[in-house]
Amino acid sequence: MMEMLLDVGKKAVEHAKRLGAEEAEAFLYTENFVDVKLVGGIFASRGGVLKGVMGALARVAEPWIKRRGIPMVKGGMRAGVGVRAIVRKAVGFSSTSSLEEKDVLKAVEEAVKIAKVRPPDPKWASLPEPKEPLGQGGIFDERIQGLEAEGMLKLCADCCAAAGDFDRRVTYTVAGVRALSVYAGVVNTRGVEASDRGTAFLAFVYVKAKSGTDETSGSDLIISRTFTENLQGIAVNASQRAVECLGRKPLQGKHVGTVIFENRSWGELSSVILASSISALNVQEDRSAYKGRIGEQIAYEGVSVVDDGIMPDGIFTSKADDEGVPRQRTSVIEKGILKGFIYDNYSAKREDRESTGNASRWKFLGAPPYANPPTVRPSNLLLTPGRGSLDDLISEVKDGVLVKGELMGAWHSNVITGDFSVTATNAFRVKDGGVAYPLRPCTVAGNFHEALRSVTAIGGDPKWFVNVRCPSLIVENVVVST
Amino acid sequence: MDMQIEDLMEKAIKYALKLGARFVEVKGEDTVTGEIETVNKEVRTVSEAHNVGIGVRVFYGKGSGFSFSNILDEENVLKTVEAAVKIAKASAKRALIKPMLAYAKAVEGGRSISVNKHPREVALDEKKDMCVRQCEVAMGRDERIANVRSRFGEYHGTIYYANSEGARAFYEPILVGLGVSCVAKRGDVIVDARDGYGGSFGLSAFEEEGHTPEKMAENAADWAVEKLEAKPAPAGRFDALINSDLAGILAHESFGHLSEADFVAMGASPLTGRMGQKLGADIVTIIDEGVPKEGGYWIPFDDEGVPCSRVEILKDGILSSYLHSRETAHRLKMSPTGNARSQDYSFEPIVRMRNTYFKAGDWKLDEALKDLKRGIYAIDSAGGQTEFTGDFLFKAVRGYWVEEGELKYPLRDVALTGNILELLKNVEAICDDIEIRSGPFGGCGKWDQRAFVGDGGPHIRIRNVLFGGAK
Repeated sequence: MMEMLLDVGKKAVEHAKRLGAEEAEAFLYTENFVDVKLVGGIFASRGGVLKGVMGALARVAEPWIKRRGIPMVKGGMRAGVGVRAIVRKAVGFSSTSSLEEKDVLKAVEEAVKIAKVRPPDPKWASLPEPKEPLGQGGIFDERIQGLEAEGMLKLCADCCAAAGDFDRRVTYTVAGVRALSVYAGVVNTRGVEASDRGTAFLAFVYVKAKSGTDETSGSDLIISRTFTENLQGIAVNASQRAVECLGRKPLQGKHVGTVIFENRSWGELSSVILASSISALNVQEDRSAYKGRIGEQIAYEGVSVVDDGIMPDGIFTSKADDEGVPRQRTSVIEKGILKGFIYDNYSAKREDRESTGNASRWKFLGAPPYANPPTVRPSNLLLTPGRGSLDDLISEVKDGVLVKGELMGAWHSNVITGDFSVTATNAFRVKDGGVAYPLRPCTVAGNFHEALRSVTAIGGDPKWFVNVRCPSLIVENVVVST
Repeated sequence: MDMQIEDLMEKAIKYALKLGARFVEVKGEDTVTGEIETVNKEVRTVSEAHNVGIGVRVFYGKGSGFSFSNILDEENVLKTVEAAVKIAKASAKRALIKPMLAYAKAVEGGRSISVNKHPREVALDEKKDMCVRQCEVAMGRDERIANVRSRFGEYHGTIYYANSEGARAFYEPILVGLGVSCVAKRGDVIVDARDGYGGSFGLSAFEEEGHTPEKMAENAADWAVEKLEAKPAPAGRFDALINSDLAGILAHESFGHLSEADFVAMGASPLTGRMGQKLGADIVTIIDEGVPKEGGYWIPFDDEGVPCSRVEILKDGILSSYLHSRETAHRLKMSPTGNARSQDYSFEPIVRMRNTYFKAGDWKLDEALKDLKRGIYAIDSAGGQTEFTGDFLFKAVRGYWVEEGELKYPLRDVALTGNILELLKNVEAICDDIEIRSGPFGGCGKWDQRAFVGDGGPHIRIRNVLFGGAK
């Protein structure tokens, strides 16, 4: 498969040269996936949707019902090519959802055509040069390639059952599993010929619980390069989260002060704001608060952040990035001091330095990678863990708020200023080292960069959220209101 | 090419029926997405993406399955049909309910709208110039403007639809958008602001007063500079006046999603079982439609071949309709509304909105503002999110603190939160200045799919909204 991709890539860049491109690059991509969701896995028995005879039947047949719902299943292969052609510092990009030779050559022609008519980018230097990879690439789990809809539906069904068995007040569950195997390659006219493959396994559970008029929700997820059959853990977690929030109370007035962020919650904010702020391109273009601050203390001394593109189990690990530059390990923040930024080829050459292997074409909810030109993005962003569990962190807090799970609105944070204002639907009042009571959905507002400076403790419980691995932590000076 | 896609779709339908499918539908696509990005007058990205393929959905017994192919030859299309049938057989074993489709008259023929200066007929240079002009104007506006980014985007082509009930149709979607964002700096203070315009029209729309590249650039630059002096919004409950953009987010994110009948049929939505109930103030009407006259994204029929009808979800405060696919319409014994949509040929249709907006009222903006005694005028959105509990959050990127109807001082980004079912009861004034917008950047996300949508409304005044300021 990888040889086939590189062959197509070589033909593409040769064709571009023939058409007058000075440089050219082809990014080849295939993705095989099966995506399964089982929706409403237990509502039928408890939510009161099915009435009369059906309802009675449903109660009798509860264990049977629990393992059924509305299945949403799809699968297929996405494949395509993205071509960059350069004529006198003008970069043309064209892509097509096909790896057939005639379509690929047509995309090449379009890219060259664009390069010839668009104005140059004075900051363009050249495509990357070939380099030996530093890592072995990430794990490729053969089991994932072999997964089929039927087995995956059973996993979802077991999840729904486990979530429902946890507590009678759970009224509704959704479970989803996605198995993905990717083959990708990059070829350019400077001699880069890089290819790699990878697998991903994603599972999520979303649960609603009801007691009286109070209706709560909880969720959990797994993102991994390897297959795991045991999804009971996330099912139970999701249900526990929803159930422990029942009986929510409003906050008495506004809380300004200590907030404990669970690993996943802080990971979500980091995946948006930190990821954007450390991009060299954003720094160069005045879209980062970290501009001109290398060497400065920008965070609490316990905060260290590394971008690691070569760890075998990282979800974005590969031998090379999306323009063929070897992935590497880059120190971003060391003991609170800003050490450096992450670069792709373009941003690196603007500063006459080496790329850190952080070119990415991946987009959250949108076109597949081949349809996007590369830009700077973290590979696997790791916040170094400290010590202790979430409970240990809670035991240190006299008067505070604990924020768990998903943060609504994290994706809409201001990535330039670092201002965030999110709604936490799984939040708790913390008093004298323990959880006092669950809170009604509350708004949690602050500034990410100021928050990093006011961290007082970091837990030893790192968890993955997309491409960020982050422990729970305690932050001061955050505003919470309900 | 066109004949080829339609021929292959025909073959796919015949083959699926032969394999025992009780229903099959095929979406064909041949579209182009284009984007130009300029930063500080320099052209950074010029890109285009061709998206060609077909998607096949089959119903087999109690199951349904979906697969797709971007290789358009007979062998691969037939393989795709086999894959979809295999998936349908597997899902049949886990299905609680047999999916059935409500009746829809088989759609036929082609649909398109005529636009002035269709993007495929306008030279790259002219599009690029709009972006460069935006950068020039914004950078020249004030020395505190540190960075300007302008983006132009376009989407057009042909979407085909065919099913085993005889539907054979196509339409030609079109969407363009132009946006500019400015970063302003003063010492350590960094702020940003933006303006943009988009919808299903040609490039002549950017020649109209108020929507020229220059005007948008001036707005974005002025707003960014103004924000340098802005104070953080106070946290707490205040009366609010929100503009069209925020009204759109409220209509779409906070309310629209809850009216999607797949969530209702599963019992996930808080609107489940509440048809005919009074959920909002008398003056509140929320509409979702495919072809609004006020602008937005033009969609003549959905990805199940159902014409996009005008749906009054909330009519004079009363819940009057859900948004349906053929499947949810059958399950809830209602009529399909043309709300089954997929991101592209490689996704199955799910219940989605089209253009969702608050119907205009009769208040004048200055009157609505005059009666705001102490509160926040919140403007333009950076997006929003909602939970199935009705709890929502959306973010205003600009705003003013208001006392006795007077704008006192500008505010930084601020989040508005609450429960939509409480908020709709607190709407006290709806203005007459409706706008509906769309664009090729962003769009709406549901499950793993993105869709182009439009949203909007007029200025709306609401009592007692929770603002989550930073101070």
